[in-house]
Amino acid sequence: MRSIPLLLSCVAAVSQLCSAELNLSHPLLSKQVLPSTFKPPQVFKNANLVRTTNLDKEYVRETVNVIIENIDSKPQSEYYLPFESEVISRVGGFEVKDKKSPEKGSFKVEVVEFDSRSPTEFYLIHLPTPLAPKSQLTLSISYSILAAATPVPAQIAQTDKQYLQYTFSAFTPSAYLTQKQKTKVKFPSADVPDYTTLPADTNAEGKVDPQKQGSTFTYGPYNDIPAGVTELVSARYEFTKPLTRASLLERDIEVSHWGGNLATEERYWLSNRGASLKNHFSRSEWQRQQYMNPPTSALKALPFPLHAGVLNPYFTDDIGNVSTSRFRSTPREAHLEIKPRYPVFGGWKYSFRVGWDADLKNYLRKLSAGSGDSYVLKVPFLEGPRIPEGIEYERVTVRIVLPEGAVNVKYSTPVPLIGAETGLHKTFMDTLGRTTLTLHALNVVDEWRERELIITYDYPWTAGLRKPVVLTLGLFAVFVTAWVVGSLDTSIKAKKAA
Amino acid sequence: MSSPLLDVWEAAAASPYSPTIGKGSQFTVGFLLLLISLLLVGVFSLNRSFVNLPLLGVPASLAFGFGAVYMICAVGVYV
Repeated sequence: MRSIPLLLSCVAAVSQLCSAELNLSHPLLSKQVLPSTFKPPQVFKNANLVRTTNLDKEYVRETVNVIIENIDSKPQSEYYLPFESEVISRVGGFEVKDKKSPEKGSFKVEVVEFDSRSPTEFYLIHLPTPLAPKSQLTLSISYSILAAATPVPAQIAQTDKQYLQYTFSAFTPSAYLTQKQKTKVKFPSADVPDYTTLPADTNAEGKVDPQKQGSTFTYGPYNDIPAGVTELVSARYEFTKPLTRASLLERDIEVSHWGGNLATEERYWLSNRGASLKNHFSRSEWQRQQYMNPPTSALKALPFPLHAGVLNPYFTDDIGNVSTSRFRSTPREAHLEIKPRYPVFGGWKYSFRVGWDADLKNYLRKLSAGSGDSYVLKVPFLEGPRIPEGIEYERVTVRIVLPEGAVNVKYSTPVPLIGAETGLHKTFMDTLGRTTLTLHALNVVDEWRERELIITYDYPWTAGLRKPVVLTLGLFAVFVTAWVVGSLDTSIKAKKAA
Repeated sequence: MSSPLLDVWEAAAASPYSPTIGKGSQFTVGFLLLLISLLLVGVFSLNRSFVNLPLLGVPASLAFGFGAVYMICAVGVYV
């Protein structure tokens, strides 16, 4: 009998462990789960597929242009794209457009999973209009894979070149038969010391893979590759630049109607995924090199191109104000350049906050239709630094703090979100708390930095008067108290007889 | 890419939001209102009568309410 409580406690401990692990691996991610017997129905074939892998940035950007053809007898609208489950959790910015008419906008996509232990998961692309039998459509699928290339060797000296290794499949993973395909890999430079060579008999033209042209390698063409077939290849290329990764970015945007101000604050938790230092950091070596400004794997500076009219910037970290920053503001643009307290080498971390103010009139408009108390706000979803090698954000939380009493909040953004909620945020002079809209996104890259976020809300003028009215009533209460206390008779002499 | 809210934004292009008191004059307005409030409080404290309660107390409280809001904005805490 004694063993039962023991067994129960063991089960409880193990279940806690499992749930903790689940939360860590896929935070806030919602998925459509299909039965384990699921296989994408073979209703399409890929007539021609060209994949371009761009390794210019520290994350991998892929563009797949594919002509799909409906080989079924009925119109079809669901196209599946497979990923390894380990890769799909690092895919961000997944967008699908009609190559021939991109102005029609992105198609609806979602992540589907048919078994939590399966090595393959899918992105499901919904075509806006079902594709008729035997007709074709050209899809342009683009996405980024974060933390895809790893430094090899993993440790280098302070002034060494850094090399990255990227492993991928020479055959583009597909859930359908691909009649003709090739993969172009664009490296940042022609310095590619190691890469996998494939035998000539797999190539449709009988050539040895890959074909080199400057810094671009081409694998293929390949003919009639069945669904799900992969051929892993690897390349190691020079990339003596920092691999900047923000494990979390918190971005607060605060709207003040009284002050006519839009305050932005961003809090970064950065790290450099690059090769770590083999020896100790040498300050004298670093300082000597700075004169020549050679390429380095350390993160030295972060330029923030901001909108014109920005003022009052600040840059602080855990210690306090960081003085190594420059701010230039002209009528056309504003530029904030910050330098971390130390060069951030591979494996090192740096967390800081930056913030600035801006005039609200450039971001907020009053809606003439309706009751006259509705407003529309347009702000960038992501601002942040712009560096040539790019920055990846594992998790982004954008919080928009609207004025106290704002109701009926609606939003729209092209950035794929994993969660959104409204709540209250209490700060200076608040009685109820300000309405806040919090948006969460995973796997965002700096290419998305000017994507807009549009919010509409109702803000009655009576709600706007809450702050001064509360203060007015407070002071008036003091007046009344002063009068009441002042008119009390506290004298100790005897009252006169009437 | 076009979305319904983007159209709403474009449609409202003619009416950008502008506050009643601009950023440049927040300090002046806030300071004046707070000064008026202080003077009225001073006058009231000299003669705390029931008549003076609405006569001086109400304008002093109103001036303090609005003055404090503008002053906190002027010093950089945009409420």
